[in-house]
Amino acid sequence: MATPEEAAYDKFLERVRRTVYIDELTPLATTPVIESAFNQFGTVKKVSFIPNFLGPKELPMSVLVEMETEDMAQAVISTVSQLPFMVAGMPRPVRASAAEPNMFVDRPKKPGRTIRFRWIEPNDPDFDKARRMKRLARKHTAENSFMLKKQLEEAEKLSKQQSETAVTHHKKFEMMDKLLYDGVAQKLADRYSMKCFPYR
Amino acid sequence: MEESVASEGLEFKWGKKKGVGGKKKDVQFYESFTYDGDEYRLYDCVLVGNASEPDSTEPFIGMIIKIWEHANKHIPKKVKLLWFFKPSEIAPYLEGVPNVLANEVFLASGEGLGLANTNQLEAIGGKCSVLCISKDKRNPQPSDEKFNSADFVFCRAFDVGSCKVVDTIDDKIAGVDVKFIFNRACSEKEATAVQNIEADVNGKSDSLKPNGPLARGASGSVRKIEDSAFESSDCKENSNGCKEEKEKGHYQLAIKKSTLAEERSNKDSGSRGNHYNGKDQESEVKKQLTKQKSMPGEERYSNSFEASGSRTIHSISKKAQENDVKKQLTKQKSMPTGERYSQESSGLDDRPLKKQKLDGSVTVRDGWDTTILQNITSDGKKDTGSFKRPRDKVTIEEVPPEKRSFVKNRDLVVSVSEGKTTKTVTEKGISKKPSFGRAEDKMSADDNERNYQVTEVCRRPDAGKSKWFRSLPWEESMREAEKKGTLVLLQNLDPTYTSDEVEDIVYSALNQQCEARMIERTSVTIPHIGEALVIFKTREVAERVIRRLDEGCLLLSSGRPLVASFAKITPPGKPSLFSGHIKLHKTQTRREMRDAVATSHSSQPNNLEFDMAMEWCLHQARHEQASESVSKRQLEEMKSLRINFKLKLP
Repeated sequence: MATPEEAAYDKFLERVRRTVYIDELTPLATTPVIESAFNQFGTVKKVSFIPNFLGPKELPMSVLVEMETEDMAQAVISTVSQLPFMVAGMPRPVRASAAEPNMFVDRPKKPGRTIRFRWIEPNDPDFDKARRMKRLARKHTAENSFMLKKQLEEAEKLSKQQSETAVTHHKKFEMMDKLLYDGVAQKLADRYSMKCFPYR
Repeated sequence: MEESVASEGLEFKWGKKKGVGGKKKDVQFYESFTYDGDEYRLYDCVLVGNASEPDSTEPFIGMIIKIWEHANKHIPKKVKLLWFFKPSEIAPYLEGVPNVLANEVFLASGEGLGLANTNQLEAIGGKCSVLCISKDKRNPQPSDEKFNSADFVFCRAFDVGSCKVVDTIDDKIAGVDVKFIFNRACSEKEATAVQNIEADVNGKSDSLKPNGPLARGASGSVRKIEDSAFESSDCKENSNGCKEEKEKGHYQLAIKKSTLAEERSNKDSGSRGNHYNGKDQESEVKKQLTKQKSMPGEERYSNSFEASGSRTIHSISKKAQENDVKKQLTKQKSMPTGERYSQESSGLDDRPLKKQKLDGSVTVRDGWDTTILQNITSDGKKDTGSFKRPRDKVTIEEVPPEKRSFVKNRDLVVSVSEGKTTKTVTEKGISKKPSFGRAEDKMSADDNERNYQVTEVCRRPDAGKSKWFRSLPWEESMREAEKKGTLVLLQNLDPTYTSDEVEDIVYSALNQQCEARMIERTSVTIPHIGEALVIFKTREVAERVIRRLDEGCLLLSSGRPLVASFAKITPPGKPSLFSGHIKLHKTQTRREMRDAVATSHSSQPNNLEFDMAMEWCLHQARHEQASESVSKRQLEEMKSLRINFKLKLP
């Protein structure tokens, strides 16, 4: 029995299936960048950024990319999971996974559900438990944000370390290049009667 | 018969002999051996180190299918191992394979390279437990405990010839009858115990042979272990016979009802010696029971209730008739009112009787949509009419009186007759709560679909802010609101709510107009806690709301009280640098590289960038793992609290 509500919800679910959730994206990426990135896998129908209101500022961005068909979405997910895919910057790869209904702000209501509620008075024996639950919820949020902070710190550390390595590597290769270019290497080779590869 | 062979280094002893073979009958097969203090038997699963990566912590997993040594002692002892593939080993072939568990491995099957290998016996690095969770009927289903304690599980095979994951397991793999690959009928401990008993019974000396895996169907079959010139043991067949009976008993047990089952399990445990893990059986029983319960439950309540999903039978904590049985109204909406009540009330009557049979507490599964029904036990015998009202309560006016009555109900425990008469009084009582200005004070009993959303209709349209669109308007108004102090963060919502529902909730419960936006689920949000940002009209309103929600507890049907606080938004603007993206100087980069950065690409494994990317992948994976374990723990914490909560929700 398909009420219009359910039909709309089904359509929404179908859209969810076609969408990929991309994570660990640089905040500097823009819609055209993402579009061109994922157009390699198929047609991108829509790109929607998930705004970050409550998280820390340095959090990587997440985006929902809606593809034309479910197969394309699957292809994106599997390729990105197997090979590191980089968007608008190296070398931090993005992360892709299947989208979930909870990720869409504009999702339709789940049909067939009615929410009910009641107030609990302080003299109710359950009040205590409710209080504890509330505290627990707060505790969980705090734990989560702490974990997030830690993760960001680690990411910072890793990136610093990597940029150092990159710079050193670069210097090393530059130096090698220079030697070959200057002919120093050639001269040394002649001296020691070794083979030397000619520059370029 | 044992031979001790002193080998260099680690201590080694042969176990039971199996037969001779080889062209010159100089090969001695064995069924077991002891190595380095561990006993290994045929069809045990072992870990073997990776020769090419001696320090890797990821050993290969194999099942011993042959053990032998030559008469010529210079030829080293060998074992033949049938491999299990870890997902990482066959990652490219796992495309489209659903539900790969964290510790799942794949049995090698088919023909070809990689199916099984012969290794030196000393290559074995240790034992491990691989549990078969395949739903194949030849496979004795493992209990939950075994499942949790197994090192690895498997239910699928990987065909090495076609390089595909297959779901069905053939009858013979690598010449080994599949019965040995499936689970043994009981754990090893039991096996030894049983065998001890059986050995005594049969008057034979104890053999350390593994108890042949028992397929329930194949009661009379003789297990043949294929090998050349193998002498099948009589003892084995006998033990199979005896075992089967016990097994059958064991399984029948699982199907019976709880009390009976418990009795029997106790009996059986006694008979099996103390090695038997009664818990094991209980958990099996538990499993069977839950299936059972949900079935009669449904019939009984004629689809107005569904017996709660998982009931744990704790012989210890007999809070018996624990009153927090939450029932889900599966088709509440579609149920016409009158029928519903009659069904429910009849269900009620039956319920207490049934409950009394149950030992142990009945714990409730957390359900998102819970109905008010509680304390069926206590009230079952009582005036079922009095239940009619509570049952469909939806509006808040009704809630308070009901709630009070339920409060008392809730305290009732075991005995059914413990109803309190005051209950009925309060039911019709006056609502203590200030009326929220709703027209009807008390919904008539016949009104089926009560939900406060009925009031949604009369929401006043606000100037231009009736719908949500994710773009600037919301963001702007949000930041405005934050400045003015009217932005409130609501937490502990059900994450599947939508913004509209949140607005409705606020309206109905707090009688305030607002604009709400649910925070989307991302990889960094807590999966089981939903959050929403709500904008109120004025700061006083916001304060009032927060205070109200803090002091009182607004309980939603998901079983969670709302938590409210002033919201702090991250300041707008994007960070200038994204950690992880390395920017080399312009002079340092060449044109190709700059192009590469500008376009998005997948990295190939042959350059530096790939290595760095891998490091990032590692970092991401680590964080995912951490989040997962944290949220699992948090979920459990929430659940435990919820169970105690004994939520009664109208």
